Amino acid sequence: MSLIQVKDLYKIYQMGNSEVRALDGVSLSIEQNEYVSIMGPSGSGKSTLMNLLGCLDTPTSGEFFMDGIDVATMDDDALAHIRNKKIGFVFQTFNLLPKSTSLRNVELPLIYNGEIKAADRREMAIGALTRVNLADRVSHKPNELSGGQRQRVAVARALVNNPAIILADEPTGNLDSKTGEEIMALFDELHKQGNTIILVTHEEHIAAHASRVVRLLDGKIAVDEPTQRGEK
Amino acid sequence: MKSFFWENLRIALTELWSHKTRSILTGTGIVIGIIAVSLMSTLINGVDGLFEDSMKFLGRGNLYVEKWPWFGDDDWWTLRNRPQIELDMADEIKERSEYALAVAADRMRTANLSYKELSAENIYIHGVTTNYPEVSTVDVEFGRFFTESEDRTGSQVVLLGSEVAKTLFPQGNPVDKMIFAGSKRFRVIGVLAEMGSFMGAFSNDTQVIIPLATFNKIFHGPWGRRSIIVKVPEHLIEDAKEELRGVLRVLRGLKPGEEDNFAINQQNAFRQSYQGIKLAIGGTGMIITALSLLVGGIGIANIMFVSVKERTREIGVRKALGATRSQIQGQFLIEAMLITASGGLVGLIISTLISMAISKFIFPASMSFGVAFMAIALSAGVGLFAGLAPARKGAKLDPIDALRYE
Repeated sequence: MSLIQVKDLYKIYQMGNSEVRALDGVSLSIEQNEYVSIMGPSGSGKSTLMNLLGCLDTPTSGEFFMDGIDVATMDDDALAHIRNKKIGFVFQTFNLLPKSTSLRNVELPLIYNGEIKAADRREMAIGALTRVNLADRVSHKPNELSGGQRQRVAVARALVNNPAIILADEPTGNLDSKTGEEIMALFDELHKQGNTIILVTHEEHIAAHASRVVRLLDGKIAVDEPTQRGEK
Repeated sequence: MKSFFWENLRIALTELWSHKTRSILTGTGIVIGIIAVSLMSTLINGVDGLFEDSMKFLGRGNLYVEKWPWFGDDDWWTLRNRPQIELDMADEIKERSEYALAVAADRMRTANLSYKELSAENIYIHGVTTNYPEVSTVDVEFGRFFTESEDRTGSQVVLLGSEVAKTLFPQGNPVDKMIFAGSKRFRVIGVLAEMGSFMGAFSNDTQVIIPLATFNKIFHGPWGRRSIIVKVPEHLIEDAKEELRGVLRVLRGLKPGEEDNFAINQQNAFRQSYQGIKLAIGGTGMIITALSLLVGGIGIANIMFVSVKERTREIGVRKALGATRSQIQGQFLIEAMLITASGGLVGLIISTLISMAISKFIFPASMSFGVAFMAIALSAGVGLFAGLAPARKGAKLDPIDALRYE
């Protein structure tokens, strides 16, 4: 079975009397170690799909298997466990805890894992920070780091739990283009190391880093094709 | 789950530390509330202790046959017109009562005492029977009590209360000295041990004791209080009281249907009256102090709502990274309880110091372990109560909305 298997996914919001079909029958499967970018204009259902793939939300109807687990009908707390173990998030606005050091921020998913001893947590977090070349910024707080460094802390946080997928939502949106490219190089590196990456973006040159692009329009998949890089 | 307690405690400490002023101000409400509650209970305990100490001199197993009841709202004129208690009924009572262990008689009035140029005014003179020590807590510290024959012959001998002894004999032993009570000369045969005061107000040490026969011989007239003190087994006191009432009605020749023309008093009357006052004052005090805690609690709840609102995004991040509802709820609950428990602890320390000062300068009131425990439990409870609604609100946030919150 694929890592992510989605079939006939619907997400329908009721806005007064009218019904908004944010996702209108999406079927998709993503394999282990794929590098997929999801694109689409605003209102296309891109964010909704990302929220569902990130197990932050549940679909109105449809099937959704994540690493073989049926997550379509899970309750809040069960979804929280899935997010903790299977998904690493990277956000546009970094979303680091401002009062905590890099180390604490990266430790966070391990803390909510609940089964990892403090000493192991520390070791794993330092390991993740080393992978993003921030071993020397362990005890810095976010306001003492540059934008690119912050996003690298966020990537380390996404990596630390060895998630099934890394889900990045406009990861370069708040960075200048040079720093953005550095972050994208980091994703490329992580992909080479065997991670599965889903990238949500509206920039073609960012999407081009992936090997496959899924384009949404009006809640439906309009295009699902390999990128140039994917065809190579 | 245990690891989350420490994790949440750590988050709470960091959070409170980063808002020091806010935390201190919020905690102050609880500090004040806990000071009020624990001081109030300490004072009530102190007054209780004082009352119990004062009650000892009345004797738990004693019945006092007197003209006037100690408490009650009977018609004053009816009581006024009752005949005096005939103290010679004491022997009859002893003979007829099954329960009576000892029966003593006691008359009392005030007099002025003097020794050489020193004097003590308005001293209570008790004229009592020889067996008086059996029914009371008086203890002879120096010298001796009077004998049966001294009572029979109306000897002018006197035992001094410790305060009286100190006043008339600032230095030196009073035993065998001659003092004047009014115009009569008495020989001091003993000094009573210190007995303390009744509820911190009336000293029991400003009395003197002389034989009853001597009293009757010297002080004529109907004035002064007269009591027959009947000592009975403590646990049978209610039965004994009924029996005594029957005996007295027979001795007084009362017909069935006629009302009692005597009162049988007991320590219990004080106790009941005291309990009533205590309940009224203590209850009111507790309600007022509890209100101050409630106000403190509302302050905490308010701040916690603000805190949840401010940290909406943080909650979103934590949830995205896998925090469950109960973990988020625990985080805010522990934060609230940390404020209130620290406030409670500070309040407890302050009120312990205050109660130490009170017991040093005013009356014995010490903070008991029970009160301390209650204060801490209560303050943590206020935190739990005040933090619950904000914590639930935070825990229920939708992670998508929370992450988007600006």
